[in-house]
Amino acid sequence: MLKKRLVGIVTVKNGWAVQSFGYRRYLPLGKPECLVENLDRWGVDEILVQVIDRSAFCLGPDFSLMGRLGTLGLETPLLYAGGIRSVSDGVKLAQLGADRVIVDALLREDLTSVKGLSERLGAQAIIASLPLAVQDDGLKCFDYRSQTSIPIPDGTLEIMQSGVVSEVLITDWQHEGMPGGFEQKLVEDFPLPDVPVIAFGGISEPEQIRLLLQSPSVVAVGVGNFLSYREHAVQNYKDALTDMPLRHATYETAFSLRSND
Amino acid sequence: MGIVDYGMGNHSSVIQSLRNIGFRTRLSDEKSVLDSTDVLILPGVGAFPSAMQALHQRGLVEYLREQAKRMRPIVGICLGMQLLATASHEYQYTTGLDLIPGEVKPLVHVKWHIGWNTIECVRQDSLFRESDGESFYFNHSFSYQGPSEYHVCVSRHPEPFASVIRRNHVVGIQFHPEKSQTAGRALLQNLVEGLVDA
Repeated sequence: MLKKRLVGIVTVKNGWAVQSFGYRRYLPLGKPECLVENLDRWGVDEILVQVIDRSAFCLGPDFSLMGRLGTLGLETPLLYAGGIRSVSDGVKLAQLGADRVIVDALLREDLTSVKGLSERLGAQAIIASLPLAVQDDGLKCFDYRSQTSIPIPDGTLEIMQSGVVSEVLITDWQHEGMPGGFEQKLVEDFPLPDVPVIAFGGISEPEQIRLLLQSPSVVAVGVGNFLSYREHAVQNYKDALTDMPLRHATYETAFSLRSND
Repeated sequence: MGIVDYGMGNHSSVIQSLRNIGFRTRLSDEKSVLDSTDVLILPGVGAFPSAMQALHQRGLVEYLREQAKRMRPIVGICLGMQLLATASHEYQYTTGLDLIPGEVKPLVHVKWHIGWNTIECVRQDSLFRESDGESFYFNHSFSYQGPSEYHVCVSRHPEPFASVIRRNHVVGIQFHPEKSQTAGRALLQNLVEGLVDA
């Protein structure tokens, strides 16, 4: 049976991995490579590296970082988000080691490129990013560039509905970094119930993860800051959720019992 | 290990994974370089038609067919597995390497198969015995459909589909062992050692 996934999320700003609080306040954590290696060693199901200052300043993807991550010998699927402007950007990221790429600004500005990228890499390798918030008049999507909240554009919804992208990353950007902050309504009220969702932002408690994973549309839960607070957090979450359709925690030893090793 | 470079996808993960296990690797599209290796690995991410076009452009289609005839071990991973088949229906009908009879068609009842899933061995094969029941990382929307005699392992989503196929020294793996942590490492080691020793 296909399992749901626990995704470890590393947020990068100015080249450094940071703890983010609502994408307003940041504390440095260290080199992204170190955090990614930890997540890989702890057996998280996917690793997402999101570089949050690329689109805002039109810098394009951080190929240098992706190149370094690609040579680490990671044994965990690696997802990349941040600054993708074109088909060639996405293809280059895949060649450098990204197993899947996440498009954000491109969804609002160049749907042709999103379709082109999907044709080159396959829809299974493309994820749409939607930073959402619940407001009085419904779900609103946050545009980082203009710093405004807007209804989810029709074109974005159509491209998700049509299968050009395989999953949507719903980020509760207002509660990101806040323990237990994720608003379940973001998933419940999302207008496309058949589109698989990765939920992220303020997810810290096993009970919260359980509630989200019980939703049929949620295929993965992303945890960021809260994986960085203690060793083996991935295994701890998984051990608390053995009743969920998650891959069980893995533990490794460097001591081999094979006689020829 | 000879990693066949035809410009599609992520070679670095496969190379690093094989090196971590202790194998030496060569990445190349040159026949002389690939000739100097024990096992040919055909990785791949992307669409079938452009992958076949890239193989043709580099003169690798005939090369791989010749190597298969010489019983040289060839391992296709993900898209690389699909390229081993007779043809694919992805976007258009495109002929493949035809090393393992069968066609590549969309998954039944679902658009994609993304994430960790178990494999079940449906044939006695010492190369995969230790991996029976283990979870591996999948990321695909098409799958191999062909005679059951070539099926070694199946996975379910929800319908069963071939996740490992084999014809003599030619092996196709639909999932990504290089991205499947401990289980993937063990599978790669058993597979390569088994093929070289056979």
